[in-house]
Amino acid sequence: MQAARKYGQAFLVGLQSNIIYRWNFAVRSFFSLFQLAIVFILWGAVFAGSPQVGGFTFGQTLTYFIVLLALQFFIGAFNEDYQISEEIRNGLINQFLLKPINYYLYRLSIFASARVVSGGIVLVPLLCLLPFARHTLSLPHEGWRFALAVPAAGLAAMIQFTIAYCFGLLTFWFLEIQGFVILSMAVEAVLGGQMFPLDLLPKGFFTVAQFTPFYYQMYFPAAILTGRIDHGLALRGLAIQVGWVGVLLLGAYGFWRRGLRRHTAVGG
Amino acid sequence: MNYFQIWLAGARYSLVRTMMFRGDFFIWSLVELFWMSVNLLLIAVIYAHTSSVAGWNAYEMTLLVGTGMLVQRLLMGFFWSNLFEMGRNIRSGAFDFFLAQPGHPLFMASTRKLDPDGLLNSVLALAVVIYAAHHLGLHPTAGSILMYGGLILAGLAIHYSILVLTMSLTFWLSSAQGIEGSYFTLADFGRLPREALRGIARVAFVWVVPMVVVSNGPARTLLHGFQPKWTLWLLAAAALWVFAAITTFNAGLRRYASASS
Repeated sequence: MQAARKYGQAFLVGLQSNIIYRWNFAVRSFFSLFQLAIVFILWGAVFAGSPQVGGFTFGQTLTYFIVLLALQFFIGAFNEDYQISEEIRNGLINQFLLKPINYYLYRLSIFASARVVSGGIVLVPLLCLLPFARHTLSLPHEGWRFALAVPAAGLAAMIQFTIAYCFGLLTFWFLEIQGFVILSMAVEAVLGGQMFPLDLLPKGFFTVAQFTPFYYQMYFPAAILTGRIDHGLALRGLAIQVGWVGVLLLGAYGFWRRGLRRHTAVGG
Repeated sequence: MNYFQIWLAGARYSLVRTMMFRGDFFIWSLVELFWMSVNLLLIAVIYAHTSSVAGWNAYEMTLLVGTGMLVQRLLMGFFWSNLFEMGRNIRSGAFDFFLAQPGHPLFMASTRKLDPDGLLNSVLALAVVIYAAHHLGLHPTAGSILMYGGLILAGLAIHYSILVLTMSLTFWLSSAQGIEGSYFTLADFGRLPREALRGIARVAFVWVVPMVVVSNGPARTLLHGFQPKWTLWLLAAAALWVFAAITTFNAGLRRYASASS
């Protein structure tokens, strides 16, 4: 209970500081509409030649990308890695070593508050878009999809944040982590299904992708919601996703312990 | 000291710095290579399911995307990290450093560093263009190649101006974090063939924000020879955008209040 209050306070502080940056999120969400425009134009041209691509219609593909965009603002890691890196580099992390606070949970609370703000802001352009796109959108109606999509999205957020956290902790070893972060973004863009729905990959590649954590970052919850995977695959995916969260948490703990051994705190 | 000499001194410093941080150079070269591969993979996946997109076949599309990447890699090599840091420097007050230098602050802030990894990858982007041209059986004349180079430079000026405009928002916003992503979103329009855009999208991204023209103009010159309409528009758009970028930057600079801004 005391812990919940402690991290609840961190969440509230995070909420306040993220509201300061609301215009940044607003600009970013505004430009995300351009991203959707690219998707609409490019995939519209692809579908002009054939009513179905990879067994899905244009409406289903567009819905997939819109859900993906909403998920990015609700569960995606934005610049958490960079913030953690800065705290380590500037020595701000020292204060957490002296207090009864778990740095991972503290950062997770801040991450959650940031996503509440960014998620709330992206709803505005999406709701504006809805009247124009509602005839094209194609969401399945099975109730189990929504029931499974919620835990899948929550676990996806954990995966996203924990990967960002681990990249941030690399600062214990490297002065500059941005190269690693952007390298990982390129991998995530492909294997997370942000460039194209992963089911359009050749079958062998798609099967391999399902065993990487990146598959569960974005594609998996979006695929459940938009009808790209069936009930059996969704349940199996959830089990693998839980496994990946466990592996990443262990990794994060290991990085933290080993990183602290290299850390030199000067001042307070 | 003229501007070219100042730029040359910065370039020399950047090369020496790159030699000192070879690991960084390797990682960043890999980063850019990965992003180029991601774009090529997208083409491969799309054309595995269709033979034509807006009338462009796979190799024509590769040439188009390669051209867009070439402009973007040149931007990365010459300007990206300078402009990326500009946003943060304005926020922190470190931008003062550029105001005390012997040149226009925009020039000093944009050209302080070179990124050899971006320049290396622009060679790879050019290789993608040559590869696609070879598969299309193109034999461009020397004039077409020169025109292609000129249009690439005009496209670079447009990309640079849009990035300056985006980063100049920092003079008005409380933080630049994430703003630079907006540039990448706009730059992605360069992957699209002009024929795919209709109605308001065509007006917006061909004529108003000419990201589509930046890649389509040079690519069409290689594919079909000199295109007067495209050439004129690209050159005029470059002049207009450079003017808009400098004007906005100067307006922002007047708001700059050092560390407290």
